[in-house]
Amino acid sequence: MVQTMEMINVSFLTDVERELILEVLRRDEELRRLEEQRVKKLKVEFLDIKRKGAKRTDGSYSEHSCGRCQEPLGRLATSNQCPACKHQVCQTCRSIRANASWVCTVCAKEAELKKSTGDWFFDQRVNRFSSAPGHDLVRVSLRKRPAMKKRETTGEVLLNSAELNSSLPGPVPRPRLKDLAVGNSSPSSERLARGTTDSAEKASLSSSGRTDTDSLHSSPSGHRKADEVNKSSPAGSTASSVAPLTKTHSRSGSTASTETSSLIHHINVCSDSLNDVDGLFKKSVRRVHKISDFKPTSVMDLRKDATEDTGVSMGDRSKSVPGLNVEEEEEEEEDIDNLVNIHRRTVGNSAYSLNSSRSTLGSMMSVYSEAGDYDTVDVSGDIVFSLRYDEGTQSLAVLVKECHGLAYADPVKMKCNPYVKCYLLPDKSRQSKKKTAVKRNTINPSYNETLKYSISRSQLSTRTLQLSVWHYDRFSHNAFLGEVEVLLDCHDIDSGHEECVTLRGKVASSSAKSAFAQYKGELVISLKYVSEIEKPSQKQRGRKAKAEDSGELHVLIKEAKNLSAVKAGGTSDSFVKGYLLSSKGKSTKKKTQVVKKTLNPHYNHTFVHKELSLEQLKGMCLELTIWDQEAMSSNDFLGGVRLSSGAVHLKEGKKEWVADSTGEEVSLWQKMMQFPDSWAEGTLQLRSSMGKAK
Amino acid sequence: MLRAVSTMTDGDYDYLIKLLTLGDSGVGKTTFLYRYTDNKFNPKFITTVGIDFREKRVVYSTNSPNGSRGKTFKVHLQLWDTAGQERFRSLTTAFFRDAMGFLLMFDLTSQQSFLNVRNWMSQLQANAYCENPDIVLVGNKADLADQREVQERQAKELAERYGIPYFETSAATGVQVDRVVVTLLDLVMKRMEQCVEKPTPDTQNAASTAQLDSAPASQKKCAC
Repeated sequence: MVQTMEMINVSFLTDVERELILEVLRRDEELRRLEEQRVKKLKVEFLDIKRKGAKRTDGSYSEHSCGRCQEPLGRLATSNQCPACKHQVCQTCRSIRANASWVCTVCAKEAELKKSTGDWFFDQRVNRFSSAPGHDLVRVSLRKRPAMKKRETTGEVLLNSAELNSSLPGPVPRPRLKDLAVGNSSPSSERLARGTTDSAEKASLSSSGRTDTDSLHSSPSGHRKADEVNKSSPAGSTASSVAPLTKTHSRSGSTASTETSSLIHHINVCSDSLNDVDGLFKKSVRRVHKISDFKPTSVMDLRKDATEDTGVSMGDRSKSVPGLNVEEEEEEEEDIDNLVNIHRRTVGNSAYSLNSSRSTLGSMMSVYSEAGDYDTVDVSGDIVFSLRYDEGTQSLAVLVKECHGLAYADPVKMKCNPYVKCYLLPDKSRQSKKKTAVKRNTINPSYNETLKYSISRSQLSTRTLQLSVWHYDRFSHNAFLGEVEVLLDCHDIDSGHEECVTLRGKVASSSAKSAFAQYKGELVISLKYVSEIEKPSQKQRGRKAKAEDSGELHVLIKEAKNLSAVKAGGTSDSFVKGYLLSSKGKSTKKKTQVVKKTLNPHYNHTFVHKELSLEQLKGMCLELTIWDQEAMSSNDFLGGVRLSSGAVHLKEGKKEWVADSTGEEVSLWQKMMQFPDSWAEGTLQLRSSMGKAK
Repeated sequence: MLRAVSTMTDGDYDYLIKLLTLGDSGVGKTTFLYRYTDNKFNPKFITTVGIDFREKRVVYSTNSPNGSRGKTFKVHLQLWDTAGQERFRSLTTAFFRDAMGFLLMFDLTSQQSFLNVRNWMSQLQANAYCENPDIVLVGNKADLADQREVQERQAKELAERYGIPYFETSAATGVQVDRVVVTLLDLVMKRMEQCVEKPTPDTQNAASTAQLDSAPASQKKCAC
């Protein structure tokens, strides 16, 4: 099914049509977000019920107590078994179904949830399409990407890709045939290959590996001839065409003609190119920007996650930041399923591992743990850890070794079940959160666990590593036992040597808070220097000398993430303004369109700066600033980036100043100049001020 | 352009049910939905570009046959409208997979649109979320009696073959329009119940047999 999705061809649409459709898709997106929030709320409620009620088997499990309310049961134990989860359940913890049978309250609630979240539908759909053999699985394993997000809709996919398409003249690397061959044989691509008027016969000639159900994919008009023949008995012919329909999805994963290649959608290209290993340059660029670039569905997800008032109070900075591992995100998606499984598994398996329950319940706990009830414990002890950055995998490994002399969460009962939680601040989202296992009854826990973050080195310099120690309490809130913070911009992350740092208490609005204030979100852009524009009419030898000057700088403003809200309701109507500044004081201003009511706007707008040589670019500076559009007053500044090759001297009017580009801002600019005619994409942390150094 | 949507931007509903209309170009899918959501009729033919959708919030109540009291739910309907035109086909069929129920529409004054019904059925069976989704067959433009080309008996026979309900509607007069959507919603809600009551791997089979069983029952509801 995922292929079907990826290959919706929209190239036949006119611009006007595309706009209209995009408008529809945006409306759909609004509804989707609303639904997303509602579903999230429901799932949290469910987790809550589950947490309170479900019997955990790590403790003493009595066969003679209710699996829900823990009350003792009567003697007729067998009839007390919930038919769905097989738990022994008392009379009061039952829910009678329409057909007079009953299930336990949690199972009933679970069924409720499946209905109200629409999961019943998505489950069915997944069932149907997951049976597609061959290439589906191959693709998944190659890309380490789920075949499809369970709840993903066509509108969602299309909105993403269509937007890409509409404003990109062709910035995405051309598809490679070898990549395309994999996904080509789905019915929809064949449909594309045929175009809109081709007949079914022609199509069946043009590709191999088709089944006899192919004719079904052809359009009604393709059938018209046949229809006329059968006119006399429409009903009869109907029956015959219905019968063989059922297995259409099990198309073979074999070859398909490469002519369909160019029709494959960009979105496909994106994911495929992850796989592309030739070309050192491409490789390195890719690695850095893995997420924002090549996982369109995930990007979508990040955006959804950022919607306001989700009811899952993870703080308003719980929005995801790209550059980290997205797989984490999917974990959340599966939380309910997981829980249900655990819930089922508990039956007669008193030794089931605590780990699994921690991974789901624990993550809920920590939501609450942020609530701020940590003044009860006097912080003591220290934590031993080491950091090592791996260039090869572009990841930071945080080895949490051990803690010494922690405080007891409950000094009277000498209770302490510590675990370590880790964030790369300012990102406090789920992606940034990693945890160790819980160690039981010790104030000197030894973990030896490595927590890994996929993040580029330049991005790391803007982050602060926060390690906090928590006492895990099954029955009440987790207690805070202390934390340390490590600024990564001035920290040795290469040696990997062990450090022992004294834990400290929560400092009210400490560096973490101030870093927050500075965090303005991110901007995803792509840069390309087009070295020579070959205009067929002007292809004269004489012009060759001037070729350098005819270069163009293309600046694709893709999207911004986690912008700060200015408007009530936590949204912004934002646009990006771009200045290309030179030492001669020349500047060109460009603007994107305004994207309304979102903190994660997709601009997909390309600024083209003409008549530039690489030499000139070296001394230039590109300023991109994001503004909130205010109808009645001046626009508000939301953040900006300053790209240049470093300390470049610039002139604006009569003032001279030095561009203070750092980290990613410099490396992206350099990458662009180093590799003309290919896109260099980067995710840049937004500056909270564009103050200029003299 | 004001839509009923503007009042429905909150998440205060129990179920989001996505339905989709399909059928030849010009059979009246858009006008049908317009009549349903806004209770208005637009006689002009404006071809739908690719896809569109309308929304409506309705109250759905279950009345269990075995005496247990019915519950009422707020249902948010997302009604997808698809272009019937051939050139949008690859786009529109891609949306089939996201819908929970389908309104397959033809024009009672066009034999051709009726003949194409089974092609649409094939498209559905190939692209919908399961092989036997809930479908209602709709013969539209019932008000144009003098131009009628498709006889009720013909259409009923076809519907019976597929085991789906059949209705004759008129977006112009509003006849049976609500009924069609309610019937489809009912089927979808029942399907939903079946799906969650048997959460075993054979859900699909269970659902499909149930669907076959329920088809004749729905058939009786047809008031034609």
